[in-house]
This record gives sequence, C-alpha cells and structure tokens, in this order.
Amino acid sequence: MTETAEQVAENTVEEIDLGPANKVIDKYIDMSGNLMPVLQGIQEEYGYIPEETVHLTAERLNVYPSQIYGVLTFYAQFHLEPRGKYIIRVCMGTACHVKGAGRIGDTIKERLGIGHAETTEDLLFTAEYVACIGACGMAPVIMVNDATYGSITVQKTDEVIKKYKAMG
Amino acid sequence: MVNLTIDGKQVTVSKTATIYEAAKEAGIYIPVLCYAKKLLPYGACRVCLVEVEQMKGRLIPSCTTPVTEGMVVTTMSDEIRKVRKTVMEFLLVNHVLDCPVCDKGGECDLQDLSYEYEVVSNRFEGEKFDLPKDEINPLIERNMNRCVLCGKCVRVCDEVVGYGSYSFINRGFETKIATAFDRGLNCEFCGQCVSMCPVGAILPRPFKFKARPWQLKEIDSVCGYCGNGCTITLGTKDNEVQTIRFNDKTGVNDGNLCIRGRFGYSYVNSDQKLTKPLVRRDGQLVETSWEGAMQAVTDGFNSAGDSVGIISGARLTNEELFLLKNYGKALGTENLDHSGGECYKGVTEGLKETLGIQASTGTFPQVENCDAILSIRSDFYETHPVFGMVVNQSVRRNEGKLTVIADKLGKFTKLPNARTLLHKPGLELNLLNAISAVLIEEGLAKTEGVEGLDALKDALKDYSADAVAAATGVDAEAIKQTARELAAAENAAILLAYGLPYTAYSKELGIAAANLSLLTGIAGRQGSGLYLCGEKANSQGAIDLGILPGANGLGAQQMLTDAAGGKLKALYMVGEDPVVSYPDRSLVEQALENTFLVVQDMFLTETAKKADVVLPAVSFAEKNGTFTNAERRIQKVRKGIQSKGEAKTDFAILQQLLKAAGKDVPVDEAAAFAALAAATPGYEGVSLEMVGPQGYVWGGDILKPETANLIPVAGGKAVDSKYQLLTGSALYHSGTVSTKAKGPSAVVAEAYIEVCREDAAELGLEEGDLLKLKAEGGELKAKVKVDRRLPKGVFFAPYHFSDMELNRVYSGQPVIAVEPVK
Repeated sequence: MTETAEQVAENTVEEIDLGPANKVIDKYIDMSGNLMPVLQGIQEEYGYIPEETVHLTAERLNVYPSQIYGVLTFYAQFHLEPRGKYIIRVCMGTACHVKGAGRIGDTIKERLGIGHAETTEDLLFTAEYVACIGACGMAPVIMVNDATYGSITVQKTDEVIKKYKAMG
Repeated sequence: MVNLTIDGKQVTVSKTATIYEAAKEAGIYIPVLCYAKKLLPYGACRVCLVEVEQMKGRLIPSCTTPVTEGMVVTTMSDEIRKVRKTVMEFLLVNHVLDCPVCDKGGECDLQDLSYEYEVVSNRFEGEKFDLPKDEINPLIERNMNRCVLCGKCVRVCDEVVGYGSYSFINRGFETKIATAFDRGLNCEFCGQCVSMCPVGAILPRPFKFKARPWQLKEIDSVCGYCGNGCTITLGTKDNEVQTIRFNDKTGVNDGNLCIRGRFGYSYVNSDQKLTKPLVRRDGQLVETSWEGAMQAVTDGFNSAGDSVGIISGARLTNEELFLLKNYGKALGTENLDHSGGECYKGVTEGLKETLGIQASTGTFPQVENCDAILSIRSDFYETHPVFGMVVNQSVRRNEGKLTVIADKLGKFTKLPNARTLLHKPGLELNLLNAISAVLIEEGLAKTEGVEGLDALKDALKDYSADAVAAATGVDAEAIKQTARELAAAENAAILLAYGLPYTAYSKELGIAAANLSLLTGIAGRQGSGLYLCGEKANSQGAIDLGILPGANGLGAQQMLTDAAGGKLKALYMVGEDPVVSYPDRSLVEQALENTFLVVQDMFLTETAKKADVVLPAVSFAEKNGTFTNAERRIQKVRKGIQSKGEAKTDFAILQQLLKAAGKDVPVDEAAAFAALAAATPGYEGVSLEMVGPQGYVWGGDILKPETANLIPVAGGKAVDSKYQLLTGSALYHSGTVSTKAKGPSAVVAEAYIEVCREDAAELGLEEGDLLKLKAEGGELKAKVKVDRRLPKGVFFAPYHFSDMELNRVYSGQPVIAVEPVK
C-alpha cells in the first residue's frame, strides 16, 4: 500500500499544475471564438501546450480534443513539446544564407547539439531556423528571444551562447 | 417550393434543397465523393461541379449550392467533363493505387470515378505518402495513404455520433485525418466512419480479405441486440455472415449502427454454438437425438403437471413468442414471463395505470426535431446507442436542449450545453417528482382532462425543488429550468430505458415519467413522445404478445423463488441466461437445481450447464420472423444463413413441442404472424405485406394515451455508505450474447469495476489492478478501470459478464453498499 501511495504521489508530482490553464480558461470562457486566445494564453503560461491542458480545454470549452489538435498542428505558433528558456532564431533568408547563415546553424548544432525545432535537454535553448526576419542589413543575423545579434560570426555565436548559459 | 431546370428537365423541389439533391430527386446523376445524405453539405471534393446559366464564368459545386427559382443547370458538358477529370487527377496525385489488395475494390468511389472519367494517365506528379497504418485497435483499420480528405469520417463522428475522434491535422499537402495527438483510434468503435468512407482508407478489420463485395449476398434483417431495431444488412458468403453492409435506405436507423450491430455478428458463425440436443444422464449432459430430447421434455413436463414455469428471453421473434404463449396454454400453466426482476413493469404497469397503454408514444426519428429532451439515467446512450445518435443530432444540429438525470456522467452529459442533474445514486424518482412539482407550482402544468391532480399535488408537497435539491445534491435552479423548458417546448421527449440491470423502482419510474408526460402534455402530442425502451431486440414484442404472467400465474422472480423452495417442479428457459443476468444468482442457482430444467439456447450457457435437457436453438441470422422495436415498429427478420448441425429455430422447436402436446400449429412464420396479429391488441389488421422497408409502426406515429391518470409515487432513498456500487449496461455489450461475439469482446473482454480518479488515488489503485469489494455478505472482484465520469464514492460494474458473479450481491436493489477490501 505504502509503495503504491508513493507511486501515486510521484505521478502527481510529474503531472503539471493545471491552475494557470484553468485561470486562462476562466478568463475567456464566456467569449465566443475563445479557442485561439485560450491556447495562446496557455502557451504563454507553460511555454508550450502540455497534453493535459488540451484535455482540460476540451472538457471545459466542450470542444473535441481532436479539433484542438487540428488547430495546434495547423498554426506554426503552437508547440506541443516543452521549449527552451531561450529561443535562438537563426535567419535563413536569402541575404543571411549568402553571408553564411548555414555555418551559424552548424555552430549552434555543434555547441548545443540542437538543430531546427530542437530543444536542449536542460530546457535552456531551442533552435529555430526561420525565413527572413527583416534585418538583411545586418546579415547574417540571429535572435535570442527578443534580442537581435547582427553581423554574427562563429566566434560571436560562441559568445552569445556563453552569455545566455551564464545567465542560466 | 422552387422550380428549376436541370438538363432541360423541369424540376420542382423544396427551397431548402441543393442542386445535387434536386438532380437526385429528378433521377439525374451527378458524381460525388464528399456528399452524404445524412451529413451537412461540405463541398470538399469538387467532383460535383455543374454549370448554372445564372452563374456563368465558373463551375458551381452542386452539393453545397441551394436551388433558386428559375435556375438553369447543366450537369454535363465538355468543360465539366474536363474539369472533373482534372479533379480526379489531383486526387490521384498522392493516392497509393494499391487497388488489387484494397478491400474497397469493386465499391470504391475513387476507383469508379477514375474509370468513368477515363483517368488513364496523370499530368501531375507528387509525392506519395507512406504513412503508418492504424493497426492498434482490433476493429477499424485506417490507411491514410488511401484517404481523399473528403472529411466524411470527421463529420459523421461529430454530427451524428457526437464523439469527435477525428480532425484534419497539419496543413497544405501535409494535411491528413487523425485523432488527437495522432494516436491509434480509441473510441466507441461504432464504425460510422467505416460506413461513410468512399475509399479504402477506413475499413472493418474483421472483414479484411474475406470477400470481394460482389461475392457477397446481401440480406436485410434486424439487429438482434437492443430494442432500437436497427436494420442490418448481412453480407454472407460460404454460409457465414462475413460482414454487415452499409444500408441507409431501409429501416429506422439511417445506416447508423453501434459496435454491437456492426461488429457484433461473429457469434452467429461461432463453432461454440450448440449443434445437437443434450440430455442429462448420470449427472452428465450427453448428446442425443431430437426425438430423445423431445421425449425427455414431454415426460418431464408431464410429470410436473401444471407446476411448470416458462421464462423467455426478449430476443425471440413475435412468431416464436406467440407459439411459446400457446405452449404455455397447452401445458396448462399461467406461469409465463420474460426478464428477471420484472424490469418492464414501468411499461406493463406504470404506463398502463397512468396512460392506459403499454408502449412508447412516439417514433425515434421525430426526436431529432425536439426542442427539449429529458433522459432519465445517463445510461440511455449505452443501452440504445443508435437512438442516442438521434438525440445527438437534435442537440448538435437543431440546438435541442438536453437534460440528463444522471447518477454518473456519460456520453449524453458531454453534449453541447447538456444539463446534467447529477444526483446521489438511487434518487431518480425524487428528481422526476421535483420537476412535476415545479410544473404544478409555477402553473406550467397542462391539467385539462387529467385525473388525480389533487392527490398528486398533495403527495408532491415534500418534493419541492429546494427540498429535492438538498436531498439529491442537484442545483434547485437546474431542476426548475428543466421543468420550464419541458413545458415551453413545442416538441419534447422523455427517454427511459429498462432492462435486466435496471430492475429497481421500475414501475415507479414508469409512473413518474408518465406523470411528467401528462403534466407537460408530451404524451400523445404530435412531434413529442414518451419513450420507454426495452433492452432487447424484441422486448416490446414480448409485452405486446403478452409474455407475462397470467391472472393466476407467477412472474419470473416468483417462479424462481417457488422453484428454489420446491413449490415449482419444472422450468423452461428459452433464450435466457438467468444464472448470469438475473438478480440474485444464488436464488437462481437453487431454483435451477431443484427443478426439472429445460434450456433452449444457442450456446451452452451457465444456465444450460445446469439443465436436464438442452435444446439447440439458432441466431436471428438463421431465422425468419418479425421483431417489434421500442417505438412499436414491426420489422422483418430475414434468414441469411443455414444453421449448422441439428440446431433449429425456436419456432421449429416450439412447433414440435406443440404438436407433441396434440395442438394445431401454424405451418410457418407467415401463418403464425397472421394468427398473432388477429389475437394481439394493436396488431389487428396488420399483415406482413404492410411491413415494408421502413417496417410498420402499430398504433401509428403517435400512440394516443387512453387514460390520463396522475399517480403519486414516493421517492427513492439514498444509501448511507461511503462507497456505493451501481450496475448497468456497458456501451459495447448488450445482455450476455455480445460476450460471445468477437467484435465487442475485442474492445471490452472482461468484467471491470469503474472507479473515479480521486477514489483510485485514495485507495491506491491503478488501471488494471484487482479490486475486491465486500457487499451484502458476499465478495466481488474485478479489474479496475479508472475513469472521470463517476462521482466520488460511486463505483460502476457492467452486468454482462459471467465471471464476476455480480448478481451474487445484486438482487435488484437500486444501489449496492460496498466496502473495498485491502
């Protein structure tokens, strides 16, 4: 019995806290067409859309889980896996491509072990290869969350990674 | 009505029709892939394009475009042909074209249209997908490489089934149909998606590589499971039922079926079925000849004199029940009954005393247009799934307001805006009383011509919404709203299912529901109805035919009690397995032990194992006759296969027994129907010719009540126990027969006890753990199923399975107090 109780306790720890998701749903529950804002709000809270929140949303908004999954896979903005604290966007637009964006992507892969849409195990970094981010004058360019790093080189990339690693 | 011209032909159709429907009505062919009669227009496939003179310059999808006055439509031209062919080329770009091994071959819309439009080459090239097949579940195989994205499966699962398994996921070329998180299918397995798929993307797995469609012989019959009476078209080959074919033209179900109907057929082919009569010699059941068996039966019954009891199942045809009744007369006994616990008393006594009738007042299809529906017990969907789908459509499409009086959540309670009156177990009556009380108190009740109002008023004093709310745990306002909605609705329906696991308060529930139907004016009103639906295929027929105790006869429960006490000498069980399915197993066993027992069944059931003589009978697929479903629809059961071995229809066996008793017998089923129609109230003047493809509803679409008596009924009492066990039907099974069928058993193979998450955590239980319960001096055990639909402290166990011996502790009580054993 004690063993099972422990197991149950363990499972509960592993389960995510649905409090924030419930709060988001509370906020929009009476609005028509509320699925998108609810999902966006949940992603804001958790950094991604955990599966449990899909089932919770389905139950509370009376939508099928399959429909929610359809919406989540239709829009690129939604993520079903946990993402890093820092999202490194590597611009792969024409200008950046010509000026060696591929090397920058390779460096990140080498240093952090993550390619496009992948996340480090410590959940610190997620890499994303994106099309033009509109800063061709500074090509090649990367963004880490909202900060932009232009005219970037392999060496500069190392520095940026080091900086964010230090920030933890 | 709207007038238009299609291909030079003048057509007049309803103004809600689309061009496609107008053409179809006029007998003009337009190809379609994504259209289905029972689904809302969608316009996904673009093969139904036509020209409309008033909308020149582009082609118009005929399946989504409504007709307008004076429209001039052309359904075929060089351009249309060219465009349709191009559409086919697009569809074939990423199609796998594995037609030689595809089970849809021969009846595939994509194959037929490619042939029709001579798509011999393709100007476009694209990637073929290599998506994995869904091979996890045993019943429905999904191969998305063959999918044409018509969305019929998505729509039928949403609009009709209300389950919502599927959705379109991803986008652009990557779009595909998938379940949530793209996993294997885990649903009701009703197979509506299978029946809708125009290609080989969704197929019935049990039918794989069994036959090409043109090799199958199709026979329209009626499903042998529940009282819904769905038409099922048997696809037979090699004297076996190979599959159930889609048929939306015949019967009451619009081509919809549940898992039992669509996948529960395999027992008819089973080699476990009895093929020879058996008699007990030296304590053993041994094979014998029919002559020997008949002699043993006759001798046994003769020596019992008139101390014989007959208990029948409710899956015999009307003709067989008629002979059985006559055989009872021949034996000189009035001890005749069906269904243990007399669960049908809501109809035979409840409705009889209030409305003066013994049947539902309306038909199923009209419920789709009801604005207010009250379902008593959430299990209604489980017992009558396809009628449940009509309710789904009313709620989902027509915004019908559904209220569920429920002791646990279920399919119905999840429907959009469904109001759930979730009460403590055993208190359904209290809620029905409270709704009646609100109607009277707020002056909403229709009391003209109604008898007994004062007495009812008086009796309902203790059942004010607030008092009942406090006792049941339901919100008082919700009770009041329900009453107001039912009173205000133009068309309303009240649903109540009855069956072996629902014997508690059966009569009282019938009365309370009838009271409500009188106060709301539902009973007998056009478009509205009170539905008391029997659990078995011919439950209504059994009541109509009077398979009930005579004036001096004993009911099933009393027969068993008397037999157990040695007061009844012989029992004749026809198509019933009381050891497993009746309340109070110990009493049943003792009764069977102490009597000369004849069992007539398809299988060597637990009951048959205790018999002195076993007569091998056959399934519905091997016989002709009629069933009367829960809305009084008489429908034809047709023989699809020859029975194996020496097993006989119950009709033939009863013919023989009657002859042995020196009685005249009808020569065949048709003659028996003529005789029973003449002798059965409501059936007078009905002939088999009148029983057409849609059957024949005796008493008409609306059966008018003959009396209007309000009768007070006392409420139930809550059980004071921390843990309580409910029993009932599981969606995947019906009675005990479905446990012998591979389809339902592949999904739910054994007994289980359902437990809510909180209780599971508290008791340290996980899915699949063995849970032992102490109850009524006995003990129960089964695997745990953790679910979210039960309130805390309430367990649920289905009654279908023999191993669990649920009826050792279930003796007809509304709730069983239990104690989990550590």
